[in-house]
Amino acid sequence: MAKGFLPCGTYHQDYLHDHAWWQTKFVKGKMILLGIILFFVIPHLDPYWVGVANMIGYTILGALGVDLLIGFTGQITLGHAAFIAVGAYTSTLLVLEFPWPHAFIHMGIAYPISIIVGAIVAGLWSVLWGLPSAKVKGFYLILTTMAAQFVTVNFIITQYVAKIGGRGQAFSLPPGTIKFGPWVMDNPIRVYYLMVILVLLCIAIVANLLRSKPGRAWMAIRDNDIAAETLGINVVLYKLLSFFVAGFIAGIAGAFWISNLAAISPEHFPWSWSLWLVGVILIGGTGSIHGTIFGSMFMVLVMEFLQMGILPLADIYPQLLDKFFFIKESTFGLAICVFLIFEPNGLSYRWWQLKNYFNLWPFSY
Amino acid sequence: MAETMKEGDELLKVENIHMSFGKVAALSGVSFKVRKGEIHSIIGPNGAGKTVMMNCINGLYRPQRGNIIYKGQKINHLKPYQRAKLGISRTFQKIELFSGMTVLDNIRLGRHIHMKTGILSGALYVGKTSREEIEHRAYIEEEIIDLLEIESIRDKIVGMLPYGLQKRVELGRALALDPELLILDEPLAGLNLEEVEDMARFILDVNEEERWRVTCILVEHDMGVVMDLSDSVTVLNFGEMIADGTPEEIQSNPEVIKAYLGAEDLYVSRA
Ligand SMILES: Nc1ncnc2c1ncn2[C@@H]1O[C@H](COP(=O)(O)OP(=O)(O)OP(=O)(O)O)[C@@H](O)[C@H]1O
Ligand SMILES: [Mg+2]
Repeated sequence: MAKGFLPCGTYHQDYLHDHAWWQTKFVKGKMILLGIILFFVIPHLDPYWVGVANMIGYTILGALGVDLLIGFTGQITLGHAAFIAVGAYTSTLLVLEFPWPHAFIHMGIAYPISIIVGAIVAGLWSVLWGLPSAKVKGFYLILTTMAAQFVTVNFIITQYVAKIGGRGQAFSLPPGTIKFGPWVMDNPIRVYYLMVILVLLCIAIVANLLRSKPGRAWMAIRDNDIAAETLGINVVLYKLLSFFVAGFIAGIAGAFWISNLAAISPEHFPWSWSLWLVGVILIGGTGSIHGTIFGSMFMVLVMEFLQMGILPLADIYPQLLDKFFFIKESTFGLAICVFLIFEPNGLSYRWWQLKNYFNLWPFSY
Repeated sequence: MAETMKEGDELLKVENIHMSFGKVAALSGVSFKVRKGEIHSIIGPNGAGKTVMMNCINGLYRPQRGNIIYKGQKINHLKPYQRAKLGISRTFQKIELFSGMTVLDNIRLGRHIHMKTGILSGALYVGKTSREEIEHRAYIEEEIIDLLEIESIRDKIVGMLPYGLQKRVELGRALALDPELLILDEPLAGLNLEEVEDMARFILDVNEEERWRVTCILVEHDMGVVMDLSDSVTVLNFGEMIADGTPEEIQSNPEVIKAYLGAEDLYVSRA
């Protein structure tokens, strides 16, 4: 990915500086502003909008793994919701069924531990389904990752996992069971804080990996696997590592999302959600963390506005409400088409242009 | 053992290699030796099997018969990435750079085998990883970029560079592995006169300078440069080895002259 230009008159004194994340005071200032918005402004919005922010965060966590695989490693996946489901169910089962010592439940440690375990289990499950990538590429990989979706969610979870403890379909998460330290996850604001921390953490993990050995190896495999192999990169190993990290973050996404739900069931993780996440990175721009963030914000907000536009009309045309699902899916499809035709580099590319424009201003030569 | 090899010892031995694609026999029974410290050229008309031979040495192809022995060890079964770790590096006839990345990132990828950062330390980017990145950056700047005189393009996207510079970056990336054996598949093809001179000088530098002392296998059509640079030459024709010896011996070998006759105009010497 191209590096942005630095503001006029800035150059680096040493390599350490050149490798730093936030290279100028201006960037530091922007980050502080972002921090203030994230931690002090958004939580005070109407809880409805905090809920929307939570949805955006959940989408970012899911899309981050998809972008890691598709955008950075070049491994197409259409079954990512499966690993989110694995994280969610692992976490739920641990919290509800594991014989935790009372002190643990009391101190609210059970849920945090279950997030980590959920992430690891989802990561390993993802590696398992990534194994075919050692042999196949492109279209065939699409099929094997789709198999991950159907085998995991539609078969294993629906038929067996969802029935653990004699339950019918859904696992209800009684109020008070999801407790993170002293905080019971019972309102959108608390869920929001957890979301922000997890999203920032995962973005930091991915960004750090991308600027060190593993990330470079992934991008090398994406761009030219033959050259990568001759440089000493164990292509199969690094593909699997990418599947692991993507699954790991999916697991965090799933485990996080249960804090926002009163009950979970396999319907929360349909195949369409896997497709949706791919659409998000296409719209945001593949191979860019900014793209993942912008794509998630864009898609979630467009759907919100669509819903807000349609609800008042529903008084006049009641059937609109029944059809909302279809309207949503078609809008999504349309948005992807429009972006692929008119903005193939995604939103992140516009952002990059805008940023360079302002950085180089007023001497944009 | 490996580290105690002396100049002139046998670094690579290729024994009776047979490789065919369906009915096309690309190599039939090729054998030759490369001694440590030398520049060993492989020449031959188009389609002679030179690139296939390089792919066999580097592990991209598995020959149906024969042995590749590197530092006295049979490496037939090793994958390309394992051979890279043993010190075998290469450039390609048709440039295989990461064209969307910067020059610096391409060369950084050449340092892959010398870096230790794993998933966990990379994710945290703690002291060790950060230090490693800086160390390798310094290495690249001081050893590679300086040598190849590409300071001014280090942050450029490789795909945007002119062909001659891309060839140079590819050499830089191959050198970043700090290889013991460097395979150069037509490094001069498509370069202009000045670029040919530069590239020939770089090859000689990495072969002769105390710091590098890299053994080279050079596949080239430019006879002038081949005869100038090489310590020994192997000639292939239709997948068979027709001659092997010093440049002088090759130049006066009637078989070689015959093989090249008729295609003479294709191999105009620039010397
Ligand atoms: N992957 C492949 N599949 C089928 N045939 C191949 C393959 N690679 C090479 N060949 C064939 O093997 C023969 C030798 O090809 P090679 O590329 O080694 O020639 P070369 O000596 O490098 O020629 P040039 O000077 O043109 O690069 C040719 O007949 C070529 O068509
Ligand atoms: Mg060739």
